[in-house]
Amino acid sequence: MLAAHRLLGEIIASLRNVIAPAIPDPYPKAQAYMAAVILEFISQQVEERHDVVREKERTLHALFSDLSAVLGGTGLPESSTVDQEARLCRLIEWLYAEKERFEPEVFAIANRRIREALRQLLDQELKVAGKET
Amino acid sequence: MPESTQDKILAYLRSKLPQAQDLTLTQFTQTAGGWSHEIYTFSAHWQESGQKVTRALCLRKDPGVGLLRDLSDLKEQYRVLQALEPTPVPTPKVYWYQEDPTILGGPFFVMEKVEGEVPNPWSKVGKQYYAEAAKRGKLPRSFVEALAALHTLDWRAVGLDFLGVPDPGTDFALREVRKWESLVQQSLRKPEPVLTEVLMWLKANAPKTQRLAFVHGAYRTGNLIVKDDAIAAVIDWELQVIGDPLYDVAYVLSDLNREGSPLLSCVVEREVFLDYYQRLTGLTVDLEACRYYEILYMMRSTAFWLSASGLFAEGKNKDLRLARTTYSVPVVLDMAAKALGF
Repeated sequence: MLAAHRLLGEIIASLRNVIAPAIPDPYPKAQAYMAAVILEFISQQVEERHDVVREKERTLHALFSDLSAVLGGTGLPESSTVDQEARLCRLIEWLYAEKERFEPEVFAIANRRIREALRQLLDQELKVAGKET
Repeated sequence: MPESTQDKILAYLRSKLPQAQDLTLTQFTQTAGGWSHEIYTFSAHWQESGQKVTRALCLRKDPGVGLLRDLSDLKEQYRVLQALEPTPVPTPKVYWYQEDPTILGGPFFVMEKVEGEVPNPWSKVGKQYYAEAAKRGKLPRSFVEALAALHTLDWRAVGLDFLGVPDPGTDFALREVRKWESLVQQSLRKPEPVLTEVLMWLKANAPKTQRLAFVHGAYRTGNLIVKDDAIAAVIDWELQVIGDPLYDVAYVLSDLNREGSPLLSCVVEREVFLDYYQRLTGLTVDLEACRYYEILYMMRSTAFWLSASGLFAEGKNKDLRLARTTYSVPVVLDMAAKALGF
């Protein structure tokens, strides 16, 4: 999902540079320009939802900790990124690529734990998309 | 005063129809439906050998920054429609393809505007239209017959092998996964671990293709022109491939295309579809393979929405409908996650 500020910035630009200039009627034209002005103010007030960010961080922290235990001596791949969701992407790819190295039940447990975390992450995103499960 | 698009098209048609006298265009409209292309419809009128001629036409133009980015190829679409003209698959006749971007600002082609209507299956009115047609029975049969015509086509004989022929086995499914993964890579602005899991599952579980066919890639109501309760033309030729016919079948079976309607693609009952399709094609529908392809479609939809919202965020396309799609990404990923059991 795109960051709110980026999205608002482009919507404001679109209203100002594309939509409003194309409206011939003075009243709706002025309304479109005013909507751009108001959205600009709103963008100063908007912050990404901290509850969502915090919940995601908690989910990822617990996941990485659990996976270290599940995968034991095999060792998780080193991460070169501080972005924990990017780290999880690399981990998922690594787990599928190295699947043959693990006992089938170890892969299944790790995959199940990852999917449990993915569900929690997705539920956070769905709060913003207005489709809470 | 700058020359209008209508004037530019009129000048182009004059160059293509030198025998046409007093050429004029009426009912010139830019349709609002497309996400990938600009579409204009109009009627052309002229005098030729003392006779009045009128032709309903449709022009499809590459906007340069469409939803599919570099995966969309207008020339390929033109060649496909040319190849399909002598076949039983109902399609619009194509007239001219133009590569030169100086004429309209991008490549385009001109084709016949097929008579009929394309009710929007996402609208209440559209759903009602298809539900009533379903009760009459002719349109559901025609829907299946047009798909069967596609899947029983001798695609090599009509020269469609230029689309690329997958190797036996899992090559087709993996090609599709890679294709849509490449769109994700062009579009992704932040990591999407749910999508990564879906992608890895798709790569690890690709089904073997039992038979190769010419596949539309988005066969549903909304991409079909209807006239007198029959399919007058299959349109939106953008995603076609040589591949597993179950790829199209899965799309028809998918919940993605019926938004609450009990009818597949809002028009045909599931049992009727499966029974009639298998009878017409001689194929057996493997529901497990269809389940795989349905999850692939969910990944593809995610790729579409990432691409659309990315184009907006990059300032390459100002259409606000594209901005809206950023909120569709978790919704379609939720569908995929549920299909995979989490």
